[in-house]
Amino acid sequence: MMRPPIILLKDGTENKQGKGQIISNINACQIVADSIRTTLGPRGLDKLIVDSKGATTISNDGATILKLLDIVFPAASTMVDIARSQDAEVGDGTTSVVVLAAEILKQMKPFVEDGVHPQLLIRAIGKACEKALKYLADLEIKISGAGELREMLVKCAATTLSSKLVSQERQFFANMVVDAVNTLDVNLPLDMIGIKKVNGGNLNESRLIKGVAFQKAFSYAGFEMQPKKYSNVKIALLNVELELKAEKDNAEMRLTNVTDFQAVVDAEWNILYDKLQKIHDSGANVVLSKLPIGDVATQWFADRDMFCAGRIPQDDLDRLMAACGGSVLTTVSQIDDSVLGKCGKFYEQQVGSERYNFFEDCSKAQACTLLLRGGAEQFIEETERSLHDAIMIVRRAKKNDSIVAGGGAIEMELSRLVREFAREIEGKDQAFWMAYAQAFEVIPRQLCQNAGLDALDILNKLRHRHAQNEKWAGIDIHREAVGDNLAACVWEPSIVKRNAITAATEAACLVLSIDQTVKNVRTPSGGAMPGLPGQ
Amino acid sequence: MAQASAQLLFDESGQPFIVMREQENQKRITGVEAVKSHILAARAVANTLRTSLGPRGLDKMLVSPDGDVTITNDGATIMEKMDVQHHVAKLMVELSKSQDHEIGDGTTGVVVLAGALLEESEKLIDRGIHPIKIADGFDLACKKALETLDSISDRFPVENRERLVETAQTSLGSKIVNRSIRQFAEIAVDAVLSVADIESKDVNFEMIKMEGKVGGRLEDTILVKGIVIDKTMSHPQMPKEIKNAKVAILTCPFEPPKPKTKHKLDITSTEDFQALRDYERQTFETMIKQVKDSGATLAICQWGFDDEANHLLQANDLPAVRWVGGPEIELLAIATNARIVPRFAELSEAKLGTAGLVREITFGAAKDRMLSIEECPNNKAVTVFVRGGNKMIIDEAKRALHDALCVIRNLVRDNRIVYGGGSAELAAAIQVAKEADRIDGIEQYAFRAFADALESIPMALAENSGLAPIEALSDLKAKQIETGNSFLGIDAVFAGTNDMKEQKVIETLLSKREQISLATQVVRMILKIDDVRVPDDEKMGGY
Repeated sequence: MMRPPIILLKDGTENKQGKGQIISNINACQIVADSIRTTLGPRGLDKLIVDSKGATTISNDGATILKLLDIVFPAASTMVDIARSQDAEVGDGTTSVVVLAAEILKQMKPFVEDGVHPQLLIRAIGKACEKALKYLADLEIKISGAGELREMLVKCAATTLSSKLVSQERQFFANMVVDAVNTLDVNLPLDMIGIKKVNGGNLNESRLIKGVAFQKAFSYAGFEMQPKKYSNVKIALLNVELELKAEKDNAEMRLTNVTDFQAVVDAEWNILYDKLQKIHDSGANVVLSKLPIGDVATQWFADRDMFCAGRIPQDDLDRLMAACGGSVLTTVSQIDDSVLGKCGKFYEQQVGSERYNFFEDCSKAQACTLLLRGGAEQFIEETERSLHDAIMIVRRAKKNDSIVAGGGAIEMELSRLVREFAREIEGKDQAFWMAYAQAFEVIPRQLCQNAGLDALDILNKLRHRHAQNEKWAGIDIHREAVGDNLAACVWEPSIVKRNAITAATEAACLVLSIDQTVKNVRTPSGGAMPGLPGQ
Repeated sequence: MAQASAQLLFDESGQPFIVMREQENQKRITGVEAVKSHILAARAVANTLRTSLGPRGLDKMLVSPDGDVTITNDGATIMEKMDVQHHVAKLMVELSKSQDHEIGDGTTGVVVLAGALLEESEKLIDRGIHPIKIADGFDLACKKALETLDSISDRFPVENRERLVETAQTSLGSKIVNRSIRQFAEIAVDAVLSVADIESKDVNFEMIKMEGKVGGRLEDTILVKGIVIDKTMSHPQMPKEIKNAKVAILTCPFEPPKPKTKHKLDITSTEDFQALRDYERQTFETMIKQVKDSGATLAICQWGFDDEANHLLQANDLPAVRWVGGPEIELLAIATNARIVPRFAELSEAKLGTAGLVREITFGAAKDRMLSIEECPNNKAVTVFVRGGNKMIIDEAKRALHDALCVIRNLVRDNRIVYGGGSAELAAAIQVAKEADRIDGIEQYAFRAFADALESIPMALAENSGLAPIEALSDLKAKQIETGNSFLGIDAVFAGTNDMKEQKVIETLLSKREQISLATQVVRMILKIDDVRVPDDEKMGGY
């Protein structure tokens, strides 16, 4: 007898399940990792991506590249997610986390093919991960003392920057980044470090301004007549429009008498003049507003030797407030000396082809600005991303003052420890643990491959050194040999590694636990309207 | 080809799967392939500019999509107008732009140098050297070259006007204006010196205005210590020349003031209407009275005024200019020491500016007239008034002047100089090559390559001047090494001597340093890319 077929899903829906699905997911993750694998380490190369609109990005940052690749394969997008989470959490190590996750999956693939239940694998690598983190905690070195702390931060920043485009100038930038972070208050708010980019000039003309700098705003006639240099500046920060302006759109006046006409015009002017006078009376000599400052106000201030700038971006204003004190006012009626920001020096200077306003020697000094210079736009953008990574690292390291040696050293040591521990495990779990331990070796191997070194040779040397208890032996790319990376000052905050290991393991578990994907047909856009019969 | 790897992938069961959106429409090039294709693109751009280098460099003619013709040999301008598509070639464009923004001169040289560096690095890549090692070597070599430049640099006497003029002449030498080179050089020097703030070593270019008018000869170009605006007196009967003028600068229109809020005036009777008419006339009269009372003899207004006001102004003997743009108003205010007045009520004698001579200049047979305000109390604002046979020449002359202005400005900022004619590059190349032998490791090769690339500048100069390039260069190199004299360069203008100090061919150290370090930076960036994903135009149906 014929059974009617049971239609469960809409026609065209992709439905894949079973072992094949897990393996195909693993493969997809592998491909994602492959596309950023070569960016790892000081000899890692950059990727150039042109999007469909023609915008060019050149980057070495894993998270940035993955974001631009626009990945649609469902399981593979977990790779993008962990790169992003690493970026948000610690800001660096985005490439290594993806490479590590893909490698764990690769190590697990033969087991899946052999028919091991994924849950067994997940349980084993979860436990192995816990163990690895414990070892990591034992290995990390605490740094104490103010001088040493600074040195540690500089070294961590330099390690991060060594794989970037600016690696030649890494000492210069590392010091700059540490100085920048050190000016912040205890919470280390990231947005108090402004990064301004000016095309042209040389990388090492970049500088750190302990204070705030921003580009000259659009100005009206009269601006050039204002003084551009003050000392002992009093700054009025406003959120007030200083312009002759119409009252709300729906307001309308009916004048019945010609004489009223003049009165209304005068009233309008007086409203503005009142505001201006109040600002002047408060003793401020620099007036900044988030909203426009019109031509009348510009000329009025010019007349009284005051400086003004309108349309200042919110974040610059916030930074200025953090640096100079004072508060942003939404009305000028209460303005007096106590709400003005104060700083030692204000001046305008030409930077490249732009004019910049600088506020220095600020009274509270909890904000700073990095002024980046560089040849091409893409170049500065990549520098900004690199510095962002370095800033994040320094921030994390400052709160969490323990470090490990980079250059594959910590990974090799963890791999060895996990493997040693695994030998004492009974049952087939041992094999899984071994595979997990093996996965850590991908980082040093990739570093070698990117540098064009013989990975097999170096890795064997490393294993040898680690077996002899040289726990900080790692790859010294510049000498193309194995060396003690703790002594060579290749340092990374341990939190980077901790987060990378956790995130990679979790992502691997996630991918392993999926055994079915149901993907709905995309509603055809622009095609026939659904529900219209006969088309 | 390596690009196949990004295309279609098959899983174990033979089904294709797609990881990235529209990956079938992407072109991907990886590895050495990518680096090489980039080098090719960048070199193509550099080769275009190569023939524009130096005093005997030739111009390029560029026609824009709307038919505008530009003739120039300014590197940055050519690059900008070429409208390149290739993503790496765009980097070269930015390179010359960045030199233009920072220094304003040497925009051709920087691109030629970057092209030469890439050409050299291609050879090294063929030998199997890791791109980053090449880049590292270049960086080291760049440092050495900069050191050499520092050591051969001379101090320049900025106070000496004559020497400044000579420097400006070097920059102008390769441009279209070299027929009246001396005159243009003097204009550039005087313009910068009058606006420069020697103390803070800052020059505000917004204070130098450039006006051009077709007609006359290039030689008629003048520097006006004051402002020239493309406007005339509002009424034809107003005086054409005012001596010792007192200028009122107004940003309010000569018309009855209106509130900004939406308003309506209800007129219900004839009397009311009459009153309104009276009011309007009265306002005009008070306005003019106010201007008169302040003692002004010339009113310059940002806005217009209608015929009635115009007539009244004429009747009251008050010359006026209308529709003067914002930046010009500003310059005028600075030059005449006036305050910009937003309301008639605020006019007072203290706010007026003064000008020794205000006159209308007429040109040729055409009815073109312009207003020139001269003999101003403040010399901080000047105008260069360029004349020339056609618009293209004027534009090119303006660009040439801009370059010269930048050179002078850079000297004011930093008075160290090196000598031109490729002598500085050659001296640096010799030092870098010498240093190369002392380096162990693969960087040695990169060092030598860098030295070779530096030599491409004098080489291109010699080529463009019609000299036998290899002969001239080897000759020169031998002489430099023999005498240790770093001033020997290519005698591009056949002056009879190779000594650039004698020929007075001078370039700023700042510009040379910037050229070398910028070029190295960009080359590093290009070398570091090994993976490119570009939307494939052919498959997307473009072209």
